[in-house]
This record gives sequence, C-alpha cells and structure tokens, in this order.
Amino acid sequence: MPKREHLLKIGVSGIRGVVGEFLTPQLACSFAQAFGTYVGVGRVVVGRDTRSSGEMLQHAVTCGLLAAGCEVVDVGILPTPTIQVYVGSTRARGGIALTASHNPPEYNALKLFNSEGLFFNSYERGELLDLYHQSSFRRATNDEMRRAVSDYATPPRLHIERVLKHVNVERIRARRFRVALDGVNGAASVMTPRFLAETLNCELHAIWVDPSQPFPREAEPLPETLGELAGLVRRTGSEAGFGHDPDGDRLAIVDETGRVLDNDDVLALAVDAALGRLPGDVVVNLTTSRSIDDIARAHGRRVFRTPVGEANVVEMMQAVNAAIGGEGSGGGIIFPAVHLCRDSYTGMAFLLDRMAETGLTVSQLAAKLPRYHRRFGKVAFEHGRLGPLMQALEESFPEAALDRTDGLKLLLDEGWIHVRASNTEPLLRLAAEARTEDEIERLYGRVLKALEE
Amino acid sequence: MTGGAEKSLRISQVGLRGVVGAALTASHALDFASAFGTFLEPSGGVIVGRDPRASGVMMREAVIAGLMACGRNVVDLGVVSTPVIQHAICRQDAAGGVSIGASHNSAEWNALKFFGREGTYLSTAEANELLDIYHLRKFDFVEWEKIGKLRQEAGAIDRYLDDIAAAFDLEAIRRFRVVVDCCNGTSSLILRRSNERFGTSFILINEKIEGVAFAHEPSTTRDAVGLQLAPLMRPLGADAGFLFDVDSDRVAVAAETGEPVSEEMVLPMLADYLLPRGPGRLIITNLSTTALVDEVAARHGGKVVRAPVGRQATIDALASYRPEQVAVAGEGTGAVMMPRFRFVYDGIASMLAVLSMMSERGQPLSQILAGYPRYSILKAQLPLATQRIPALLAELRETYRDGAANVGDGLRVDWPGRWFHVRVSQTEPVVRVICEQRGDPPRELFENLLDRVRNA
Repeated sequence: MPKREHLLKIGVSGIRGVVGEFLTPQLACSFAQAFGTYVGVGRVVVGRDTRSSGEMLQHAVTCGLLAAGCEVVDVGILPTPTIQVYVGSTRARGGIALTASHNPPEYNALKLFNSEGLFFNSYERGELLDLYHQSSFRRATNDEMRRAVSDYATPPRLHIERVLKHVNVERIRARRFRVALDGVNGAASVMTPRFLAETLNCELHAIWVDPSQPFPREAEPLPETLGELAGLVRRTGSEAGFGHDPDGDRLAIVDETGRVLDNDDVLALAVDAALGRLPGDVVVNLTTSRSIDDIARAHGRRVFRTPVGEANVVEMMQAVNAAIGGEGSGGGIIFPAVHLCRDSYTGMAFLLDRMAETGLTVSQLAAKLPRYHRRFGKVAFEHGRLGPLMQALEESFPEAALDRTDGLKLLLDEGWIHVRASNTEPLLRLAAEARTEDEIERLYGRVLKALEE
Repeated sequence: MTGGAEKSLRISQVGLRGVVGAALTASHALDFASAFGTFLEPSGGVIVGRDPRASGVMMREAVIAGLMACGRNVVDLGVVSTPVIQHAICRQDAAGGVSIGASHNSAEWNALKFFGREGTYLSTAEANELLDIYHLRKFDFVEWEKIGKLRQEAGAIDRYLDDIAAAFDLEAIRRFRVVVDCCNGTSSLILRRSNERFGTSFILINEKIEGVAFAHEPSTTRDAVGLQLAPLMRPLGADAGFLFDVDSDRVAVAAETGEPVSEEMVLPMLADYLLPRGPGRLIITNLSTTALVDEVAARHGGKVVRAPVGRQATIDALASYRPEQVAVAGEGTGAVMMPRFRFVYDGIASMLAVLSMMSERGQPLSQILAGYPRYSILKAQLPLATQRIPALLAELRETYRDGAANVGDGLRVDWPGRWFHVRVSQTEPVVRVICEQRGDPPRELFENLLDRVRNA
C-alpha cells in the first residue's frame, strides 16, 4: 500500500503542513484574512513557537489580518496557553498561534482562537472554512487600515498571575526545590526558567532553553525522547524534572529517580490536586485511564468522557462546568480556573505545591495513585477495511459494553479497549488498560489477534 | 477598456500599483514579493522600506513573508524615502530592494517598486522576467531550515545623509532659508535630521508623518506648489521653496518672490548647472518634456536624447550610455537623476543641486529662472476609448503634416519654437495632450487638438 503523506491539511482545525512547497505564505495569508473577516474588525493576537518558519508565517498572517481590517497584536514567541490566556483576558476578537505543537520541525500550523481564547466550536470552524473556500474576504481600504503593535511583557505576567492564585507560592518558594527542565528549545524556553527559578525560587538545572536553536530531540515529550532530562535529574540530584513540547502546552514529569511518569499519572496528580481545592466534575477523553474515575469517586465527583481531541474535551468542560479535565495519553492538563486550554504551568505549579504540602517525593506521590497497566499501539489498515475490523473486534469481546462515540470502546470488568482511526493517516490507534500486567498482556493479545483475523 | 472607467490596479514592468482594498490586495503583494524573491540572483539580502501610507504595514508584511519564504534575508528600514532604500541597497551590497509606496498618488493608492543590485531600476528585460514569474506563480520557496531572517535597521537615513554631505557643500547652502512642503511624507524625516546634524535651515510644513490624510495631493506640480508653499515665501523671507512627493523622489520649486515655478523647470535648471561641470554631455529625457531643455543643451554644447514617456523607457535609454557620458536624466514631472548622486530619481539631491547652483552663482532663484527664455506649456487629459486611438493619431499626423513627426510614443510634432505631444497614459484610460510654445501659450493649437481628441 502506498504511504499517504499528509504534507498539507486544510480542515476544520485550521491549516497544517510542511512549510515551503506545501504550507506557503500565500495559504497562511489567505487563511488569516478569512479569519479576520470571520472575527470582525478589532484586535487579533498573533504569537508563535520557535520553529524557523514561524517568523515568516507570522508576517504572512499579520498581512492577511491587516488586509481584513484587523488590528494585530504581536506577542512574539510564547507558549500556546499563554497566548490563549492573553486573548481571553484582553477581550481581543481572536488569536492565531503559529505552532505545529509536537509535529517535526518541517511542519507548521495555524491554531485559531475565539475572543475567549478558546478553540472555535465545531460549527464555527465549519463556517470559517467555508469563508476561506469562498475567498470572500473583507478588504480594508487605506482609511480602514489598523495598526500592528506588539506586547511581549503582559501575556506571561497575566498567565503566571492566574496560575499562582491556585497554589501556595510561599510554601513552594520556602522549599527551594531543585528542579530540572528540558525546554526542547521551544516556546516555553524563556518563560519557564523564569517561572521556576524566579517566581517559584527553585534551584534550576535547565537544558535546551535557547529559542534561536532547532529542536534537539523529537518534539513530543515521551519516555524515549526524554533521556537527557532523566540523566540531568539524576546527575544534579533534582527532586523533579519537567519536559516541554515545542509550544509549551503539554507537560512531561520525571521523578527524582529519573523515571519518566506515565502521562495518565501526570493528569491524575493534577486532577487530585484540583479536586482538593475546587468544586466541580472532571472531563477526560475516552483513552484516559480509569484512575481518574477512582480519584473523582474519592472526591465524590463525576467523570465525563469525550472523543479524543482538546477541542472536544474543552467543549464538554464548558457544558458541565468542570473543575478540571484533560487527555491522559496526550499529556494535557486543562484547568479552567486558569484557562480552558492545555496548560503545562498549572501542572508544574500543582506538582511542586503538592510536594511542598505533603513533603513527599514525586515517586511517592505517583505511588499513591490508583495503579493500572496500559498498552498503546497502532495498526495500518487499507481503505474500506475499517468497518470489518471494528466488527471483528466487537464480536471477539461479546461480554463487553460498547461505547461508539469515537471509534469503538469496549468496557470490560478487568479494563477497557479503545480503537479509533487516525484523522491524519490510515492507521488504527489502539489503547488498552487493565489492573495487572498479566491482564493487559492477555487483553492486548486478544485485540491484536482479532484485528489480524 | 472603454473611456471613463476608473482604473484601480496596474501590474506592469514598473511593478504593482493600485487602490488598496478595492483592487490591490494582500495576495497581489505577496505573490509579487515571492516572484521577486525567486527572480533575484542567489547571493545577498533584500532591503525593504515604505512610505507612511496606513496600508504600507500590510504591504510590508506581505513583502517580508514572500521574501523570507524564498530564503532571503530581509533588512527593513521602516518609513524612509525611495532614494534612501536605493542608497542602502548599494551600501550593503544587497541583491536588491523593494520600495513600498505610491509616491505622487493619493493616499488610497499603494505600490511596489523593485530595484536590483546597486539600487538600480530593473531593465525592461529583467522587469519582464519578474512579471513572467509573477504570472506563472511558480515560486522558489525554500525548506524550513533555509527560510530567511529579518533585521530592522534604524540608521539608514543617517547613512544616506553621510553620502549627501560628501556630495554637496552643505556648509555653503546652510545660510539659505528654505521652506519645504513635505506633504506628510518621508522628506520631513531626512530634512529634520539634516537640520540637526548639519545646521541647515529647512523650515518644514506638512511635516507630520501621516498615513491617511495628506495635507494635499502629493503631486509635484506648479498647482500644488501654489497651494500652501508659494504663499509662504515672502512672509517667511525664504530664499527658495521646495515641494516633495510622499517618497521624495520628485521635487517642485517655488521662487523667493512667491512665484510657483513650473515643474518642467527642474530638469533644465539642473542641466544648466551640470553640463558645464562635465564630463557628461547628454541629457536624457522623454518626449513630453519642455523644449527649453534643448535650448539649455545648445548653450553648453550638450545633446538631448528623448525616449518615450515612462520611467522604464528613460531607464532603458540611460542604460545604453556609459555613466560618464550623461550629465543629467529626468522628466518634466520633477523626477531628476544625476551621475553625481548615483543615478536614482532623488528629490532631495535635486533640491540640493538647485541650492548649490544659487550659492555658486550668487544669484537668487528668481534671477536664475529669469535667465531662461519663457516657454509656455499647456497640458490636458481627456477620456478616450482605447480602440479609437490609432485612427486619431493617424488623423493628427495627416492634419499637422507640415511639422516634424515623431511616433516613438503616440505622436509628437515639432515646429520651430512650438510642439505638441498626444499620447495614451500608461496609468489611466486617458489621452494626454501637451502643447508648448516659446513665449505665449499656444492656445489655438491646444484647443484644436482637444477638439479633435474629443471628436475622435
């Protein structure tokens, strides 16, 4: 089967692609002009991560926005959540972040935010895409042209102020934690060192915090890509290690022994901390661990589950007025008291606050979490084979309760299985969870067998 | 195109020009910049600057994005005159440059002008290649690792003034009290700085940099000089007055008597000043420019070369001579270039040459002007259906067959001491009629011509 490479994707979530031949300044400019037409005359915030194509694309986007009659506020290189907080709290018409998140460096993308600094809902995204395809843009005349201004100082201040409201800053500062950081030379490279070393008074040991340099490792923060950080933790005797992705919305945590925490455990720690402070329920995606249900139950709260995708989780969180939410395997913590977006700063602050409060180490905190075993994988499929595959899987687990909101989720006594088609490639993404290593081994084996047949 | 329809976009060898929003869009600018980034020779950065029009920021963003995507390092000079951009290209040995600004057009217009190495205008062959790339829309966008970088440079006006100070005796002209109508354009930035650094006495009016509402139409004509500048000459006791267009490549003049001077006079005056200094003996100009140039040339044993109207034709004519053969080149619009100052249309340099002439001759401006025979020029424009033009020109040629005809650009007919030129504008759907006579205005000939054009 020929490999389908997604060098450019224009869809309801915006534009993403390989810069140069595919994602051109013309596309970025037109899409921005459609966006400016859609959100209306007013201020639009533009920021970016550290990709080498970011500056060029930012000029193209600024051009499109000005052409539509918008005023442009350049916030420079910043983490995506910081841009979102700023959009929401300055009541701009909207925002555009130039970041391809955890994709390789040759990619870039336009992430689009509404006036509250949130992803557009699915209806709005459809409207915007139609506007883009119709090419019916507003075109400002010379009299109607607005300014392009910059504001580099306010966004980090606003974001950090909000995060600090939900932790005990003095007790964190008093501990003077020794902390390691891997910034992947990404958008958080300047802001996180200041946050940890100055605001939270940590003894900081940081690597790859030069935003002018390319990504030194694979962009997604995973156990296999965080080897240097783990080594740094051990070498410096750090009490915790934090790993960023290029746009600073996801968070990976390394414990004091140099072990990279499972992403579901990172979310579970944050959920536990948030529910201890605020009323409200929890929203996670279908692939997130049952440990969240256990923690919510202990706090007397409910858990709502959504299809995979930050926008889906956020939409449900708004609907149920949730206290916290996120996506386990994606490494995203969404704490609406700060902002309805994935926010690594909330994650870092919550962890250090918990350590200060309890006197426990990261590994001890993790050990107290409900223990489940998970297995992830992917299987390529041919077009037209997706239905029969799902059917075969369903039939080989006759005892399971079914959830069909996103692919197929099979709920069993000993655990669950979630199978869904990737949005970008002809791949089935597999996830399974069980209480013991033996059980997950057996369960995952049954899944693979069913799919092979 | 039928007569009377308003043209609001022009894509030609001279570049891109149009009314922003109504016709000229972000896409045009971005595609043109991408084409330029593809067209330029591989080595060297690109200099970018703009005039103060509000739409200039949008245009700049397009130009920067297109150039960077082609792997070009870009130096942004901010709001500067076109000659300052050309100077910076030369100084930094850049591959080329882009000037964003619609010069003498009203505020709702904007334009992109392109320059090659050394800050020269593109030749017709180069301009055609650029246009082909633009229309083909096949751009050489580079991979992510090779995308260009942007640098802001604040000191370009100072570096330009360094060279101005070396080329002109500013010490000698410091004593002149000079009033300048900046028309809210880039000349104010340059002349204010000149006052600070060199103690020159430029009194600036309409000096506020403005993006939307210019104090008046920024055209360098006698009428525009008469609006605000000329009436100030006597009350301020000024020695001379100058009016610049927004990007300062053209200039018009007012005498100390308060008399607005015809825009046609700048070129003959500078020819008179520069021809005796040598070595160049040629004056390169266009078919619509005053015959006084010929008389001035004859006085000094110089020679006039007339090209069709339009910057591109003048540049091509200029390119066929060695620089030392040329004394001065320019148009009756107040756009003049001198070998002494890098052969670019430069209103500031033209003004300084006029002031140097006053200083060296020890004569007031009115007296210098009185030294030339009086020529009267009449200009008009009439709408016309494009398809009837060949017949009109043939008819005129037949009617005025007693004169010497030149069909290089429309029709020019010369008699001793009198000529007319009828041609189609490159920028508007109009026929331009120009008629000049030594002494009194040739009213009868002019009216006859207008009638024939109207009835064509």
